[in-house]
Amino acid sequence: MMLGWNIFPIIAAVVLLLAVAGAVVALIRRERSTLAVWCMGASVAAMLTFVVMLWLTLERPPLRTMGETRLWYSLFLLMAGLFTYMRWHYRWIMSFSTLLAGVFILINILKPEIHDQSLMPALESIWFIPHVSVYMFSYALLGCATLLSIVALVRRRCDLNSAIERLLYGGISFLSIGMLTGALWAKEAWGAYWSWDAKEAWAAVTWGLYLLALHLAPTTKGRSVAYHIIVILGFLALQMCWYGVNYLPSAAESIHTYNS
Amino acid sequence: MLKRQNILTITVIALIAVAMVVMELLVGSFPTDIFRFPINILCIALWLALLGIVYKQRTTSYVARFMLSSHAVWLSFALVAIVGIFLGLEREPSSDSWPVVAAILFILSHLVLITLRGWSNAQGVRWRFVLLHLGLILALGAGFWGAPDREQLRIAVDTKPSDEAYTMEGKMRLLDYTLRLEDYDVRYDDSGVPQHYEAIVDVDGRRESIRVNHPYNRSWQEKIYLINFGRSSSGDVYCILEIVREPWQWLSTAGIVMLIAGALGMFLRGPRRGVNDKTTCRP
Repeated sequence: MMLGWNIFPIIAAVVLLLAVAGAVVALIRRERSTLAVWCMGASVAAMLTFVVMLWLTLERPPLRTMGETRLWYSLFLLMAGLFTYMRWHYRWIMSFSTLLAGVFILINILKPEIHDQSLMPALESIWFIPHVSVYMFSYALLGCATLLSIVALVRRRCDLNSAIERLLYGGISFLSIGMLTGALWAKEAWGAYWSWDAKEAWAAVTWGLYLLALHLAPTTKGRSVAYHIIVILGFLALQMCWYGVNYLPSAAESIHTYNS
Repeated sequence: MLKRQNILTITVIALIAVAMVVMELLVGSFPTDIFRFPINILCIALWLALLGIVYKQRTTSYVARFMLSSHAVWLSFALVAIVGIFLGLEREPSSDSWPVVAAILFILSHLVLITLRGWSNAQGVRWRFVLLHLGLILALGAGFWGAPDREQLRIAVDTKPSDEAYTMEGKMRLLDYTLRLEDYDVRYDDSGVPQHYEAIVDVDGRRESIRVNHPYNRSWQEKIYLINFGRSSSGDVYCILEIVREPWQWLSTAGIVMLIAGALGMFLRGPRRGVNDKTTCRP
C-alpha cells in the first residue's frame, strides 16, 4: 500500500486520540495502568506504521526535511514518554510527552514542508540514517528530561533527579553518537570532521551544556536548581541547533541546509 | 563568601581571557602555520612533560589541584558552550582565534590530567571513563595539534592534464601528480535539484570515480573530493576537485570510534549507582 502526506491528518488524529487516552488513564490511575500502556503502545505503533509506509512510498528514508524530522521526533517523544512511564511510573509524563508530540504533529499538518521523492547526492550516505535517527531519539529523551526538570524546578523537588539523570545518560549517549557519526560523515563528504559551521557550533553548545549538567551532581538544593536550569538551557540550545540556526545570518553560509 | 584563592583563580582566568582578546585585536588570528611538523610534535612533548610535572604535584600545587577540580570540569564545558556560541554567530567562523586556541588548550590540558588520575583507581581501570576521555583527547588533540599540517587545495580539472592547485587563500601549489577529467555524469530532477554528481578522473594514469560522499583515497593522508562542475567560456565542462591532506586524520578517527564506544557504554551501563539516588537534597 502506498501512502503520502495527504493521509497524515487522519493518521495523526488516530495517533493523538490513542495517546491522549493513554495519558488520561495514566493520570487517573494511581497504580501503573496496563490500559494506559496499551493505548500509548498502539499510538506509537500507528505512528511507526505511517513512518515505515512513508519510507516505502518515498523510496528513501523520510529524514530529509524539517517536517520529516519532526515526524521522527513525535514518534520518539511518544516512545520516550511510554518508556519513562513504564520504568519510573510518573503518572503525568505521558501527558507532557503527548502534548509536546502533539505540537510537532500539528506543525506538520499546518505547515507542511516540501516533500518530494528525491534525496540530494549529499545525503546519499551510509551515515545518513544512523546520524539523523539517533539524533531524533536523543532529542526525545532529552525532551522528557527537560519536562522533568521544569517540574522539579517549579515544585522544588529533588526526587526527580534520579530519573532526570538516567534520561540524560541515554539522551547524551545518543546525542554524542549522533554528533560523532556526523563528524565521520563530514570527513567523507566535505573533507573535515568539524568546521564550526553554524549547526556544528550550536551542536557543541548543546553538548557542552548537557555534559556540564551530567558532571554537576545535584546533591544540594542549590546545585539541584543549577542542574535543572542547565538541563533546560541545554534543551533550548538543542532547539537552536535543530532549527533555530536557520534564522541566524550565519545560516546563509551553512553547509547543513538541505530542505530548500 | 568566596575564598581568597578562588578570587585569585577567577582573576587569573579573566586576565588570560582578556589577554587573548587583546592578542586577537593586536596581531590578528593565531599563527597556526608556525606549528607545522615537527614543531607541533616538539610542542606536544613539552606540553605533556609540563602536564606530567603538574600531575606529580597534585597534592601540593594549587594549580594542579584546580586543574583536577570539579571547577575545572565546569569551566571546560562552559568554555565549549561559549566557544560554540561565539563561533555559531559568526558568518565565517574561524577556530584560529587566540581565545578559541586558549580555550581548547585548557580543555585538553584538563582532560589529560583527569585521564591520568582516572586511568585506574582502587577498583581498577574504569574502561568507560578511559574510552570517553582518551577518545576526546585524541579527537580534539588531533584536530588541534594536527591543524597546522592540514592542507586544503582546490583545482579545476578539464580534459587536459593539470597539476596547478590553489590554497583557500589563492596561492598556487604544484601537485606531484596530474589530474584529468575523463568523463562526468550529472543529473537533475524536474525541479532542478541535483540527483547524481560523478566525475571520472584520471589520477596520474589511474581512472577513478569521484562522487559526493565517495572521495578518492589517494594515500593514507590524502583524499580527493568532488566539489562542483562548471562550463568554461569555450563551452568545455570542467570539475572542481578539493584535495585534503590530513596526516592526523587517523588519530581523529580513532578518538571518535573510542568516543562512540564510550557513549554506547554510557547508555548500556547508565549512571553510577549511589550518586543521585537520593530522593531529597541537602539544603
